[in-house]
Amino acid sequence: MPDKNLPENGSTHFRYFVAAKPNGSPGDGTLEHPSRSIRDAIEGIRARHAGDSPSVRRLNGYDRIDICSVLKGPAAKAETKQRYEFFVDPLGATDLAIGSAQLPWPDLESALEGVAKMDAEGAISLAAGEHLSLSVREVFSATPVDRRKRRHERIAQIALGLVTLSLVVPLVAILSHLIYKAWPVLTPSFLFENPRNQMTAGGVWAPLIGTFYLVFISLIIASPIGVLAGVYLNEYARDNWFTRVVNLAVVNLAGVPSIVHALFGVGAFVMFANMGESVLAASCTLAIMTLPVIITSTREALASVPMNFREACWNMGASRWQTIRTIVLPNSISGILTGVILQVSRAAGETAPILFTGAALYMTIPTKGLRSFFPYSLQDGCMALSYHLHVMMTQVKGASPEAIEAGKSLPLEHLQYGTAVVLIGLVLTVNSFSIGLRMYLRSRKKW
Amino acid sequence: MATITGNLNERPTPARRGTSSLQRLGELAIESLIRLCGYSAILFVFGIFFFVFREGAPMLFGGLDLLKFFTSTDWNPVSKTPSYGILGLLAGTASVTVLSMALAVPLGLGAAVFVSEFCSPKIKEALKIAIEMLAAIPSIVWGFIAYMMLNPLIIWATGAPVGLNVLNASIILALMSVPVIVSVGEDALKAVPDSYREAALALGASRWEIVYRVLFPAAKNGLLAAVLLGIGRAIGETMAVLMATGNANQIPTSPLDRVQTLTATIAAELGEAVQGDDHYRVLFVIGILLFVIAFVVNLSADLIVRGIRGKQNA
Repeated sequence: MPDKNLPENGSTHFRYFVAAKPNGSPGDGTLEHPSRSIRDAIEGIRARHAGDSPSVRRLNGYDRIDICSVLKGPAAKAETKQRYEFFVDPLGATDLAIGSAQLPWPDLESALEGVAKMDAEGAISLAAGEHLSLSVREVFSATPVDRRKRRHERIAQIALGLVTLSLVVPLVAILSHLIYKAWPVLTPSFLFENPRNQMTAGGVWAPLIGTFYLVFISLIIASPIGVLAGVYLNEYARDNWFTRVVNLAVVNLAGVPSIVHALFGVGAFVMFANMGESVLAASCTLAIMTLPVIITSTREALASVPMNFREACWNMGASRWQTIRTIVLPNSISGILTGVILQVSRAAGETAPILFTGAALYMTIPTKGLRSFFPYSLQDGCMALSYHLHVMMTQVKGASPEAIEAGKSLPLEHLQYGTAVVLIGLVLTVNSFSIGLRMYLRSRKKW
Repeated sequence: MATITGNLNERPTPARRGTSSLQRLGELAIESLIRLCGYSAILFVFGIFFFVFREGAPMLFGGLDLLKFFTSTDWNPVSKTPSYGILGLLAGTASVTVLSMALAVPLGLGAAVFVSEFCSPKIKEALKIAIEMLAAIPSIVWGFIAYMMLNPLIIWATGAPVGLNVLNASIILALMSVPVIVSVGEDALKAVPDSYREAALALGASRWEIVYRVLFPAAKNGLLAAVLLGIGRAIGETMAVLMATGNANQIPTSPLDRVQTLTATIAAELGEAVQGDDHYRVLFVIGILLFVIAFVVNLSADLIVRGIRGKQNA
């Protein structure tokens, strides 16, 4: 192989060697085995650099091909002096191309041909220690530094893209695997039947309704407090240390581990408020846990209402509350709703806070008639989808093969995957509503 | 910015004219209600601390040897001579947190940079939705994924006898905390003024050079806050690690060791503990500890973010 150098400016420098006094076998253009003549060297270059397209493209920016004439044998030196300089430039090419800086050849092929012709005519004579160079005439093309920069940027973009992709791939893989595994049980009857036979058969009706109970009641508790707190923080609070403390409290409320919320629920609602392990206690715990979601999104929604809306209203003589009620809230209601929906999704998925405050291992509820929609009382526990999934994983023993054979039970794995898919489906559906609403809002924004 | 949006600072107080006293009374009532709700966040945080503390205090101030509590790995609350040493649990929490952050921080910050600087608006929108979906997956479902999917995968890949270990929990926790890191990190990058980018661009910097020479130094604090919030999420996570760690109280020596975390211990044992006895109260003491850790992490993240805002306003 001929010499390939990478000079410091990042361009590529190809060198082919020719020995002035050829003897023996034809060389391959390297310093150790130089070609016998310039014509041979050109053949070698053509073989290595040729392609179907005009291969000047293969000579980037400041790249160069040298044909160096050296002494054969141990006296051979790689360093040579430049004798001739020829240029290639597809942009500056004319019919009269002679390879000079003014009239460059259009591509590498014609350049090689031109050099070969000159050589045949005897116009080129290289003494040992001299070389002829063939390079791209540079006018507006990127310098090697630019190209390296662009290459690094490309690498960075691809690497970061792969990193991001590595977050999306698990999501898709997980969702598709869950659905694939749960497919056999994903029928309407799975949704509308109670768990049966020590939870080895049936569906998820009781936990599903229980989750609705918990979400609904926690929503009733959390949304007024959360929305009003958001109103306070954006409309009333002044920029002082106290507001900072309130903000900090909201941040911390969001950051308290869910299991600590559970302990709080046990200490405050189950025991201190004497609610016992009940729907009410679990809902209160969930409400406080999800409060920051509503506060934060309400505040953001209110903050996006332009200030001059309020000023215009005040100028009409409206009081602060009148302004909020008639101007600020109507203009931000959908943003607030987004937060409320997010709260629903959070509350539906949480397990730890309800573990000890009201989730029941197993209950049977009516599956027919109006009663099936209102089966739980606030003072008793209820089943919940998230806890049901936990129970299915840790406490339910799979049915015997005979029972499955007889059609009395379903394989445990199917039930587990089915429950997981119903839960995740519920949460993601609710979440998609929130995302959809937000996108709709942005498209209709009036200011 | 074309529109000046509602900000809570420095606004004139509107005049109150033409309202009857009854109206004004109603208004006063609703305004006090709003204020009360605003203050409620403080109330709840104190409430959480108070009620957890109330259950744990009798043990914390009587009977619990704090030195042994923190330095012994002997956690045996149900024997005749119970011992409460949480060093193993602390090590469990620390190991999964550290390993998960080692995975999540490069992924999260990389994704934040990509979303914020390198992709078109449409792809950005799609990626943000995907990351939001990732954040929406409930923790018990993550636990399910760890138990049913990642467990056999790890056994297959490493040949370990059980796939429920530090590695499993760390991968799950990384995926759980990445959305936090991405969204907070992206906010931090977005908060860097465009004039910085334009100045760098005018000097001939490429986008990548802008990112690591200009944006990273400028958004350093915000990115640090993102990492801290991710850590907070990882420490506090309960149901997923309960399923994923294998629940063996020991100090891990390799990623394939089973561990037990502070949170999982509470979740696993509170149901069996007799209300009011020592075991029950010790679990609340662990709760206090977790509360304090979360408080410190969130407080520092908040102070760091506030630090940037203060500097920008100045």
